[in-house]
Amino acid sequence: MLCNECGKNEANVHVTHIINGKKTESHLCEECAKKNQAILNSNFSMENLFSAMLNNTFNSKTYLPAKGCSNCGMTYESFRKTGKFGCSHCIDSFKGRLTPVIKSIQGYDRHTGKIPKRAGGDYKLQIDIQRLKSELRAAVDREEYELAAELRDKIHALEKRKGDA
Amino acid sequence: MLNLENKGIVITSRIRLARNLKNYKFPVNMTEEEANSVIGEISNAVSKYDKGYRLTYMKDLSDIKKNSLIENHIISPALANKKDTGAFLLSPDRRVSIMINEEDHIRIQTLGDGLSLKECWELSNEVDDVIEQSVDYAFDKDLGYITCCPTNIGTGMRASVMLHLPALSITNQVDKLLYGVSQLGVAVRGVYGEGTKSMGHLYQISNQVTLGASEETLIEKINQIVMQIIDKEKTTRDHLYKNNYDELEDDFYRAYGLLTNARKMPADEAMKLLSLIKLGSEMGITPMVKGKNIYQLMVWIQPNNISTIEGKELSVKERDKKRAEIIRRELLR
Repeated sequence: MLCNECGKNEANVHVTHIINGKKTESHLCEECAKKNQAILNSNFSMENLFSAMLNNTFNSKTYLPAKGCSNCGMTYESFRKTGKFGCSHCIDSFKGRLTPVIKSIQGYDRHTGKIPKRAGGDYKLQIDIQRLKSELRAAVDREEYELAAELRDKIHALEKRKGDA
Repeated sequence: MLNLENKGIVITSRIRLARNLKNYKFPVNMTEEEANSVIGEISNAVSKYDKGYRLTYMKDLSDIKKNSLIENHIISPALANKKDTGAFLLSPDRRVSIMINEEDHIRIQTLGDGLSLKECWELSNEVDDVIEQSVDYAFDKDLGYITCCPTNIGTGMRASVMLHLPALSITNQVDKLLYGVSQLGVAVRGVYGEGTKSMGHLYQISNQVTLGASEETLIEKINQIVMQIIDKEKTTRDHLYKNNYDELEDDFYRAYGLLTNARKMPADEAMKLLSLIKLGSEMGITPMVKGKNIYQLMVWIQPNNISTIEGKELSVKERDKKRAEIIRRELLR
């Protein structure tokens, strides 16, 4: 195989990068590899990568909303260029199109970390109820009925709080 | 768990949480008036915490002072660039710094000695809860904490550990190792100096992914990777000790000789030599350095810190002389 860079010499340096499952390969001759130390020792910046992925995912064929974010007026075009949001409402304005890109960068599209007490609202309750329900099912499977009854009462209490909120 | 002394390999740990207020545009789009209002809301929220945090505005600081804060890892370069709109709250022990109107409205940064990410996270989490009692955070139930840059979204947490890896560096293994860990969703960079070219063999390891895992899981992952790197550094030190003792001893004593005698000392040379005597001391080869905080000395001799100590801007030549003087004084004390 000839070198990808100069196309003259035999390629004997093969570099494979796998980032969150996306694979890129380069085949270089020794000379070009030396020139491209950056490729070998690369330290990928998430920002650069993100911007590049946005540009790939949202090529010219993709529908671009004519209007920008309803809150700050940030347009899709400018988000694409900078890879940065203008305000927290941009997420809602662009969410549908954004989720797949976030997933390809982060590997996930669902937050499972800390939930703030106030801003999380009854979402935290909802998560707690879900967790208790799965514990309840497990307890029933194990025929631990006392524990199951306890869990059931806790779920009722949380659901009541949710109703009150 | 490995021996947690780690022979000075892990220097510091840091947790940074990115948070934003729901009802304000992100700092990139803000007017000065809005920025001041954000600073007001956040410093009010923190004052209820009653821990003696002090508010400082970027516009009140000289360039030297700002750069010195950067060299001490108290603020980020991005905050220093927010001349008119940036501010920060600092705890009395200087462990917690709450940067306001950097890329996000709030960046809570907690520093700790050695490998202490869990402790840092607990403290950051506490400060975060206090602030949230008084302000409305931007939070999405699917995507978590909303940040200006989607690469921080979710937990908004960056956990990083600073490592001193001289043995791996002088045996040319560090690039390979760091490239390896970069495949595990972890970012690596030199602490002082550009890119992965590190001055003083100091490296910073941090998580790249911020979404889809809990804070505890992300921290555990970094801890495990750091443990493996420590192990490699230790093995290499043992190997050097057994096979290259004479060369090492000579290198360390030469470094000590230069540091304690030179009259002009450029930053990169000083960092290289200090890194060597730190290694020598940890390997028990240069006993005269024992008990001295070489890392602290590495921080003090950064260009803007020297100017701050002197209280005025210095030329490169003046700084090199002053640096040599500080090093001699500290090592011979």
